[in-house]
Amino acid sequence: MATHEIFMPALSSTMTEGKIVEWLKKPGERVERGESVLVVESDKADMDVEAFQEGFLAAVLMEAGSTAPVGETIGLIVETEAEIAVAKASAPAPVAAAPAPAAPTPAAATPTPAPASPPPAPAPAAPLPVAVPASAGDGRVVATPRARKLAAQLGVALASVRGSGPNGRIQAEDVEQATGQPVSLPRVAEGTAPAMAVAAGNGAAAAPAAPAGQAFGRAGETVAFNTLQQAVVRNMNASLAVPCFHVGYTITTDRLDAFYKQVKSKGVTMTALLAKAVGQTLARHPQLNASASEAGMAYPAAINVAVAVAMDDGGLITPVLADADRTDLYALSRQWADLVARSRSKQLKPEEYTTGTFTLSNLGMFGVDRFDAILPPGTGAILAVAASRPVVVALKDGSIAVRRQMQVNLTADHRVIYGTHAAAFLKDLADLIENRPESLAL
Amino acid sequence: MAPNTPAILFEAQSPVPFPLAWDWQRRLQRRRLDDPSTPDAVLLLQHTPCYTLGRGASLSHLGFDPDQPPLPLYRIDRGGEVTHHGPGQLVLYPVLDLQRHGGDLHLYLRALEDVVLAVLQGLGLEGERIEGLTGVWLEGRKLAAIGVGARRWISQHGLALNVDGSLEGFGAIVPCGLAGRPVGQLADWLPSLTSEQVAPLLLAAFARRFGLTLRPPRPEEGLGES
Repeated sequence: MATHEIFMPALSSTMTEGKIVEWLKKPGERVERGESVLVVESDKADMDVEAFQEGFLAAVLMEAGSTAPVGETIGLIVETEAEIAVAKASAPAPVAAAPAPAAPTPAAATPTPAPASPPPAPAPAAPLPVAVPASAGDGRVVATPRARKLAAQLGVALASVRGSGPNGRIQAEDVEQATGQPVSLPRVAEGTAPAMAVAAGNGAAAAPAAPAGQAFGRAGETVAFNTLQQAVVRNMNASLAVPCFHVGYTITTDRLDAFYKQVKSKGVTMTALLAKAVGQTLARHPQLNASASEAGMAYPAAINVAVAVAMDDGGLITPVLADADRTDLYALSRQWADLVARSRSKQLKPEEYTTGTFTLSNLGMFGVDRFDAILPPGTGAILAVAASRPVVVALKDGSIAVRRQMQVNLTADHRVIYGTHAAAFLKDLADLIENRPESLAL
Repeated sequence: MAPNTPAILFEAQSPVPFPLAWDWQRRLQRRRLDDPSTPDAVLLLQHTPCYTLGRGASLSHLGFDPDQPPLPLYRIDRGGEVTHHGPGQLVLYPVLDLQRHGGDLHLYLRALEDVVLAVLQGLGLEGERIEGLTGVWLEGRKLAAIGVGARRWISQHGLALNVDGSLEGFGAIVPCGLAGRPVGQLADWLPSLTSEQVAPLLLAAFARRFGLTLRPPRPEEGLGES
């Protein structure tokens, strides 16, 4: 049981919105994987948008003829016919408030706006054919990509947010309104800005006093490892059998930061930028994508960049951005938002977190200036990314300037990857980030 | 993208009815979707007289009853409004994996404009773009219309350059939905110019702009008739 969102795709790096020309499927119709579901037009170019999952088109959230921003959810696909019926049966009047499952009532610090009738969303003129509650039966939350990102940044549990969008979809504004609620999720690994910047955007007053660091037990206790923690223990122990070494590099990020500012509004995240940069560089350095196996050096068929995410309950999960070298930046950003959201709600399929061929670990958003990472089993290398910070540097001509720099530190299995491989990879990665970050969007 | 990647060139010797050329494109696109290792391809041809409408096109730009068109009328899977095709107009239909050519549909439209601008430059004419109006213009007249469609980034449709045909067919429509913007052709400036002379220039400009080396189809790559 799952609901999949169809997003307005980015047909161009200069496209901010697209027009839905035609829905090729009607709500309720069966959809095969890879089948065209709708047609999007931007300028004189049409693109068929295909379903990534098989199932049924449950809802059209934007009618043909309407225009939606890139990344906006425009339709929903469910896996079984029964889910459409369930959705229909349980659907209140369109855009009715979504059931908020076990939502803790926000403290009265900020008066909760309880819109009896939701604000007139900029919805298409035609009535929505099918309404689906925001929480689609299986506890899955329907929210816009921007809302998801904001929720992750502000540490808001989406499940407890009341959606004011079409079919109760959670909008960014709903998340903002909900920031008075107890913070229950860790901040996502987004961006390389120091943690202070994130905290400042949080409206510091809202967060209740909480212990500064997370702990799994109280003083004087010994707490058994839970299942997820046991998995971490196994993986960490396994790494002791791997002869690893570390190679560090300092990368100037002024251009990357500037480019990030440009594309941020299109839903691009720093994680996606870094994963894309790593993916593209791996394509030119296949040795870094290889791993040691009994039979010899194993070269995977694809470049799948896994990104480490800490879970609240002590688990450590590595959702995978598959084909990171070939998938476009905007699609990667959306995939990442979706993966993070579903990893938090434990809805990832095994192939979505076990198929990484290279891992990225980013602690930059906490202001960490350097660290090293332990190699996940079955891969050859992992890159630890620290914060980008202003540094006084001596330029080639002897002048002194302030540049933003971050340290990255590669952990590699020396059976497969040698020092020169690591060095050449890091040099190319630095060159891409320092001189051609714009090419990541091509 | 490696420079000078091979691409298959299909060149028709006589005017082709629109549905046949459309079928060729879809077959090439299908091949490409089924087997990503298939090379890029391009069709160069002229059509027998007809009208085509983009998927989102408005019928209000037709100067005739769509049920009784003076020429065959086709609604097709490209972007854009109504246009006219006929002999004397060179039509270039690239079936490319656009992810290898920038993965950006707007850039692709600009690249097709570049191709036509280069052809014009080679003939000593300075064509121009008009911001917001895809196509190529010369002294206020539209010489080339562009409209594309893509599936999983595999393109079809492309550009139509008016060289030396009859422009009469444009009279019954508002081409591309742009009222008050006349259509022109190269022979208006260079009266002795023929489509046969422009065809190799167009192919060369296209190959250069997209970094392709054009080659004829191998027997097993054929489209039945072309």
